[in-house]
Amino acid sequence: MELLITIGVIVAKLTAIFGFVVTLAALTTLAERKVSAWIQFRHGPNRVGPFGLLQPLADGVKFIFKEELIPDRANKLMFLLAPSLAAMPAMMGIAVIPFAAESPFYGDTGPLAIARLDISVLYVLAFSGLSIYGVILGGWASNSKFSLLGALRASAQMISYELSLILSVMAIVVMSGSLDLSVIAQQQSTGSLLDWNIFKQPLAFLLFLIATFAETNRHPFDFAECEPELVGGFHTEYSAMRFALFFLGEYCAIIVMCSMTITFFLGGFAVPFWADAPWFIQAGGFIAKLCFLLFFFIWVRWTLPRFRFDQLMGLGWKTFLPLALANLFVTGLLVALDVY
Amino acid sequence: MVIVKRKELSLAERLYLPEIVRGLSMTFRAMFKKPYTRQYPEEPLPTSEVTRGQPRLAVNDDDTIRCVSCGLCEIACPAYAITIDGQETDRYIEREPERFDIDMLRCILCGFCEEACPKDAILMSDELELADFSREALVYDIEMLKRPVSKLRPRIDYVYKVNDRW
Repeated sequence: MELLITIGVIVAKLTAIFGFVVTLAALTTLAERKVSAWIQFRHGPNRVGPFGLLQPLADGVKFIFKEELIPDRANKLMFLLAPSLAAMPAMMGIAVIPFAAESPFYGDTGPLAIARLDISVLYVLAFSGLSIYGVILGGWASNSKFSLLGALRASAQMISYELSLILSVMAIVVMSGSLDLSVIAQQQSTGSLLDWNIFKQPLAFLLFLIATFAETNRHPFDFAECEPELVGGFHTEYSAMRFALFFLGEYCAIIVMCSMTITFFLGGFAVPFWADAPWFIQAGGFIAKLCFLLFFFIWVRWTLPRFRFDQLMGLGWKTFLPLALANLFVTGLLVALDVY
Repeated sequence: MVIVKRKELSLAERLYLPEIVRGLSMTFRAMFKKPYTRQYPEEPLPTSEVTRGQPRLAVNDDDTIRCVSCGLCEIACPAYAITIDGQETDRYIEREPERFDIDMLRCILCGFCEEACPKDAILMSDELELADFSREALVYDIEMLKRPVSKLRPRIDYVYKVNDRW
């Protein structure tokens, strides 16, 4: 009986959070098109359903019925495996994100997350790092110049920015003294806005935010896709549902990265001026922050032009890495001196 | 040789962040502007009487057709799009078309038929949409071409105004 309840609670949490993330990813594709349209004085999709809300569904149906093409002399196994390798780690990351301080499910105590790990920071960073394999394998297995170039760029970019990403997170970890995301979120959830890490670590926030753009291959750092020069980059040769899977993975990765940004810097599930808010207010606040950050990602994409690749590398190694190291050093010093 | 002098960038410009914020504010404001796009089927393009759309046959207010099936438009048509068979009628004009077909796939919208017509019976309307599933369906017969003269009035007035020069 006990076991059944435990399994039931896990399945319920999985369904709720996973369904939410995938739906949100689908809606983000719509938001992407809508916001881009508004910024360019257009209307955007508005034919399928009210305000075009059913557009992602129509796109999904279209993708399923399209023909799957596998290029001649492509490495078939890797080619077929790569999209799932790209989508899976992105979705795995969401498992440890705490959406509320207390789980509403029966017999389930602790923060509302699918899995509670003491080392969830490591877990989520590891899986965000893994998602590059799908891109590299897909680009390499396609047996196409464009794909390979996109994959190479993506790998170089991810490795460079992973460093500053993790180093800026380390400052938070040093400050809070825990590798548990829910503990980090709980420490910010005191009701005071000033306890959010963004106000204690503004530089780390900035570095982290920009590194997430590079980490998720988003504009202005989307060198892995790079439509004008590389056709489609690593997914040039992909079609139908496999292409959609890359897309879904990309948007899931954005959602996970935004959730991480919120948990690390924007208070996680903390509601401003309300320390012990009920779980649905906390989850709602989290989702509101998430929606804003997703909008911010789209907004930046349709504002900035793509950088040159050498600029990206220079920025990553010559600016971000020293800044992140210095930030970590200063944070460590302040923690040692008991300022934080 | 041209020497391009590059502007020395200030610290704010080299940091790039203030410029990003400026760009973001610009795109944010752009989001609330009215879109330029026209929602076509619901919001058709406005046309003027100068528009040379598909030819249509004018029908008087008493439901009689203006055409006397003289065949001038048929002869004037450079694309051989018009086919007319005439018949007798009791009306004052004595002749009217029994059959008046325009093959819309052949019609090149040149307006020669309108110029040739002595009775202002065939006129270039403002109708532009032409799509169907078969070639046969695009051969318009007399019933499909009839339009009340009130609808074609602006075009008739325009043609008269232009022809006043002669």
